[in-house]
Amino acid sequence: MTVSTADSTEQVEAQGILLEARGVTKQFEGLVANREIDFNIPRHSIVSIIGPNGAGKTTFFNQLSGIYHPTSGQITLDGIDITNVAPHQVAELGVARTYQNIRLFQNMTVLANVMVGRHVRSSGAWFASVFRLPGIRHEEEAIEERSFELLELVGIRRRRAHELAKNLPYGDQRRLEVARALASDPVLLLLDEPTAGMNPRETRRMTEFIGRLRHDLHLTILLIEHDMKVVMGVSERITVLDYGEKIAEGTPEEIRANPRVIEAYLGKQATA
Amino acid sequence: MMAVLRRAAVAGLVVGLVMLYLAGVGLIGAFADRHVVTEYLSLGQLMLLAPLLIGGFAMARQAGSVVRRLSIGAFAGGMGGAVFALGILVVVALSPGIRGVFIRANSELVSFVFFGLDPGLGALLMVGSGLGLGLAGASLPVVPPTVRRGLLTGAAGVVLMSMLEPFVRPRLTEFDLHDVVRFLYQAGGLLPLAALIVFGVSVLLGVVWRPARTEVQRRFAAADPGAQRVGRWIAALLLISFIATLPQLTGVFITQVLVLVGLYVLLGLGLNIVVGYAGLLDLGYVAFYAVGAYFTALLTSPTSSLGIGLNFWVALPLVVLGSAMIGLFIGAPVLRLRGDYLAIVTLGFGEIARVLFLSDALEPWFGGVQGILSIPDIIDEGRYTIPLLGEISGPAATYYPLVAFCAVAAFVAWRLKYSRTGRAWNAMREDEDVAQATGINIVNYKLLAFAMGAAIGCLGGAIFATHLESVFPGTFNVLVSITVLAVVILGGMGSIPGVVFGSLALIGLPELLREFAEFKLLVYGGVVVLMMILRPEGFVPDVTRRRELHEAEPEEEEEDEGDNPESPEATPTAAPSPA
Repeated sequence: MTVSTADSTEQVEAQGILLEARGVTKQFEGLVANREIDFNIPRHSIVSIIGPNGAGKTTFFNQLSGIYHPTSGQITLDGIDITNVAPHQVAELGVARTYQNIRLFQNMTVLANVMVGRHVRSSGAWFASVFRLPGIRHEEEAIEERSFELLELVGIRRRRAHELAKNLPYGDQRRLEVARALASDPVLLLLDEPTAGMNPRETRRMTEFIGRLRHDLHLTILLIEHDMKVVMGVSERITVLDYGEKIAEGTPEEIRANPRVIEAYLGKQATA
Repeated sequence: MMAVLRRAAVAGLVVGLVMLYLAGVGLIGAFADRHVVTEYLSLGQLMLLAPLLIGGFAMARQAGSVVRRLSIGAFAGGMGGAVFALGILVVVALSPGIRGVFIRANSELVSFVFFGLDPGLGALLMVGSGLGLGLAGASLPVVPPTVRRGLLTGAAGVVLMSMLEPFVRPRLTEFDLHDVVRFLYQAGGLLPLAALIVFGVSVLLGVVWRPARTEVQRRFAAADPGAQRVGRWIAALLLISFIATLPQLTGVFITQVLVLVGLYVLLGLGLNIVVGYAGLLDLGYVAFYAVGAYFTALLTSPTSSLGIGLNFWVALPLVVLGSAMIGLFIGAPVLRLRGDYLAIVTLGFGEIARVLFLSDALEPWFGGVQGILSIPDIIDEGRYTIPLLGEISGPAATYYPLVAFCAVAAFVAWRLKYSRTGRAWNAMREDEDVAQATGINIVNYKLLAFAMGAAIGCLGGAIFATHLESVFPGTFNVLVSITVLAVVILGGMGSIPGVVFGSLALIGLPELLREFAEFKLLVYGGVVVLMMILRPEGFVPDVTRRRELHEAEPEEEEEDEGDNPESPEATPTAAPSPA
């Protein structure tokens, strides 16, 4: 991997909070999707949000990536207020994400999907491309090279690079979404149910992969998950949402033992 | 078995109804006197019978034994013929009563579609033809591909050669080739022997074409880079000299048609950026065409309200700049609209442009219905000399600058397509929200697309104005927008060669068929609907290039999914050719 492997991940750890949300409330008409949520992500950690369907997980996620803006409350990334910043600027600040129901650029090639992800880390303007001004060719080559590296990193074969994204098998589509997100050199990676629809073996591979990503790319990762095994195995801290409110927060062990969580979310599985 | 039969019967029904429709709207009658092979076959007959062939062809494209596929095809064809004959018989029986409604259903048409026989015999013969043609159509998917290609190119060659008669004949006469004319044509169609020869030559071309192309590609790929560069230059030079000598070869009329085609290529390239690249369905593209034409008229015509009579080339940058501004101006209010809503609003903008140019309020500026007259030619009063080509005048005087503009527009479109900008546009087309979350500033890129489309579209308008030496508001109606869109769709959204193909097919071909004029819109509509159903990627889609490129890549490097990203293969631009 050209992506340098961090030998001592511990040294990066414990350097404070990367993302902080304070009192985030999101209201749609009469419905309160998120109520007064306080939440933070320590730098270089893997944090998860879990909760039953309709708990407001994805709404919260969308506010972190700028797609929705909170009705009240504040979100800061690295000390910068991103509460009301547009999505493309949030992306520029280093937040990248994937989607619960895969949303690739279907009719573009696999390679082009990743290259689009590189958009915020390149600068070629249209006239520079038309006249092929100095530097453009170099930038394009760099984008392409980096994109191939990322495809390899997530495990998509090189010969698939020029296929249309929609023709990829399901697992590869999920991986491609990750590659596209990684292309923007994010500091914070938001993964919305990255193992949805995967079989146990694929899920295990994805979980390992997420763990490896943090080390290799010095990432901070926020997961939304349904699959309890994924969350318990990979994350350091878990936040539980129910009916738009945060009902618990803590290490996997604490969450597993928390009676409110068992009642709200694990109930069925715990008794089964 | 029953299911298959039912499908074939439905196909036959559709075929019969299509034929009735074609006959009913008058298409068949209009082409009845247009001979393909003199005395034997007219274009009207061809159009009438083609659905039978196609029906048979479609039904035989399935798994099964040869006999079964053939008989299913024949059955569908026969069914089609029967439905059609029945329909015509009903019309004959009810003749006096419905004449007022179906004005085309006259006795001439009936006699034409029944091969000049009386209704009973004619109907039988029609069913027979249905069976025969269905069988013939069904045999196409059954025979080897080479034979199929040969037959199809052969048929296309004969039809094209007969359609070109009005243009080939005068050229040949001009060059004193009277014997050739007498051998080829009579009464507007090919003579049987000539048709046979044309057919033979076309078949040969059709059979040889693909292997020849593969061979050339193979040799080209095997050649060293130096030779490849030389080869590319030679090919480019050949293409340029072909395009440059076209007006000399084809004469005034065809050059006139080519100018029209060129205008739509230019418009198509512009709209392609807006619709094909950025996915913004703009139904008011004519606005930019009009703006380009009117700005040019204002600035260059000595009799316009400005009356400054600038030189075309001095005015051009101002026109482009002005149109781009108008593009931004139109783009800004529709930034938040998507899909259908955007289409409707832009449709409105297109009409607003026309109405503004027509309006009494702005008459002092744009001349209202009168328009603006005496717009000077692009170069030296339409008469100039090009080295090697001699003196240029008439439509050719517009042709050369137009080709140059098209080349520039195509170059810009091509460079943009494979750039950061082009990718951002494509991403926006695919999924606006995700594109934005990936860091693309949607507002900027939408505005850029509108401005870019406007700038290219206005070039078309500018040339159009100088070509006609006048502009009138009536020219810039919604049909222009629709036609340009049809051109883009037919060729394939986002594809640059597709625009050229689309213009030739939708603008050039109808000019060759004078009878076609009144059915133009019907056919455009049909073409767009059919394309969307059968081949939404267009005839010259742009992914094939990539795929072809990809197929040329050697196989072995694909299998190692190992950990050697440092290897030089990391840059695929260095198209590998280790044969």
